[in-house]
Amino acid sequence: MSVLVCEKLQKTFHSRGRSTRAVQGVSLRVAPGEVLAFLGPNGAGKTTTIKMIAGLVRPDAGTVRVAGRDPHRDPWALREVGAVLEGNRNVYWRLTPLENLEYFGVLRGLSAAEARRRGRALLERFDLTDKQNALTQQLSRGMQQKLAIAVSLVHEPSLLLLDEPTLGLDVEAAETVKRMVRELAAGGQAIVLTTHHLDVAQQLSHRVAIIREGRIVAEDHTDALLARFSGEQYEIEVAGEIDAARRERLRALGAEPLEGRVVYLGAPEGLWDVLEALRPLPILRVEKDRADLTEVFLKLIREEERA
Amino acid sequence: MLRLIGIEFKRGLLMLRRYPMEMVGQLIVITMIFYGLFLGARYIAGPTAQFGERLDALVVGYVLWTFALFAIGDLSWGLMDEARTGTLEQVFLSPYGPSRVYLARNVAGLLVTLALNLGILLLIQLLTGVRLDFSPAVLAPLGAVLLGAYGLGFMLGALALLFKRIQAFLNLFQFVLMFLIMTPFEQFSGTARLAGELLPMTIGAGQLRALMARGEAFDPVVFGLALASGLAYLIAGLWVFDRAVRAAKERGLLGGY
Repeated sequence: MSVLVCEKLQKTFHSRGRSTRAVQGVSLRVAPGEVLAFLGPNGAGKTTTIKMIAGLVRPDAGTVRVAGRDPHRDPWALREVGAVLEGNRNVYWRLTPLENLEYFGVLRGLSAAEARRRGRALLERFDLTDKQNALTQQLSRGMQQKLAIAVSLVHEPSLLLLDEPTLGLDVEAAETVKRMVRELAAGGQAIVLTTHHLDVAQQLSHRVAIIREGRIVAEDHTDALLARFSGEQYEIEVAGEIDAARRERLRALGAEPLEGRVVYLGAPEGLWDVLEALRPLPILRVEKDRADLTEVFLKLIREEERA
Repeated sequence: MLRLIGIEFKRGLLMLRRYPMEMVGQLIVITMIFYGLFLGARYIAGPTAQFGERLDALVVGYVLWTFALFAIGDLSWGLMDEARTGTLEQVFLSPYGPSRVYLARNVAGLLVTLALNLGILLLIQLLTGVRLDFSPAVLAPLGAVLLGAYGLGFMLGALALLFKRIQAFLNLFQFVLMFLIMTPFEQFSGTARLAGELLPMTIGAGQLRALMARGEAFDPVVFGLALASGLAYLIAGLWVFDRAVRAAKERGLLGGY
């Protein structure tokens, strides 16, 4: 059963006599324990969609259901939503981490005592216990982001919305946030993640949806999408020179000898013959061409542009 | 709702503690004004509502003026500040809804301001030996006026949500407040009186004038009308604010400025 079901969401903004169709018929589903990477260029409609899911922007048409409830009709549906929104501080800098957790916990429907109890547990889980009484403004950017995620989880929502969670973080802090996302998903949390860091999306997501000009242009399991855009060729890197006789044999097997490497574009079982032909040259690397999410993303976006 | 008021009260106190210089400044200003009033310098309260020449009338007038200003402007300043710092959307993610959260915040803010003012007032009475002498009946119209002021506060909050920068307008509103509190509509007659008393806060302010300046007895009927007017404006303010929240969500206006 899906935690999030969006059907045919539409949103057009009107400003000074001009209309911008921000989102046109977006449908998404996310199951418990699943991370959906929601990707797209700037202005593609990612944040508008996220805000429609969070009840902060009202759709012109279409429906949102979080754990079966519509946040635009039933405010208590928001009890099932946690969100860290991009470009926002999300927490009060003049309060300590524990005070933020208590305040937002009560705002999401918990008692103060329960919010404090869960807050302490989250601070421990996110390695922030020793900072629980420091002012949030004195924490590093990475710690503030961890706190924002902790605050979004204090009421134990079934759906977590993370809008650019690694933006502006250094490598170590970004790694910590990635580890947290993995752990949360492993614990059954449904997560929608938007990011411009496509390597992050590739590492974390189970499924990918790519949006362009308000429309979803691709949606699939991350592995399936990568496989779809990956070539069939193998590349073999060797040390030493490939002599003329070997070159001829390799060509007969359908492989192309190049400077220090061989490219083979044939049936996978034929690869063994290619390797045999190279014996006894030291083999440094054998790799099947595999697209990364950046290539897939750029290909899809450019194809759409051409279309 | 009590839970929300409790946590907002705590947040209000913590925020106050985290701006120590601002709090000390506020305390000094309030103390100086009250002390000045006690020493007979009635001009010190500036162009405030003055309900008579006596000290208690001056103090009540000053308290009403500052509380009404606070009630009218606090929500809008808060909304503008939170939109700028980026916590507004997190508040809007509360299942209680923004109207209830901000109503709780208003009540908590009033309690904090009340505690500050009462504390200083008691301290000055102890230090100067001067005792204020006014009937507790004065508190009833004061409360009714504040209900109306909070109603106006929600209406201005609606403007702050939709138009974002309304600082200049808020500053201008001081004059509107002065007009509403200082004009003796209760001494007008006919349509002018009716029109005046349909405006927010005017009936309660009129009753305060009757009690404190003219020494009249407490009239429960007038108080009933003042209370009804205050409640009507509060409900209208909440309704307008709800509509503005809806419009802001339609137009996608809740993000940062």
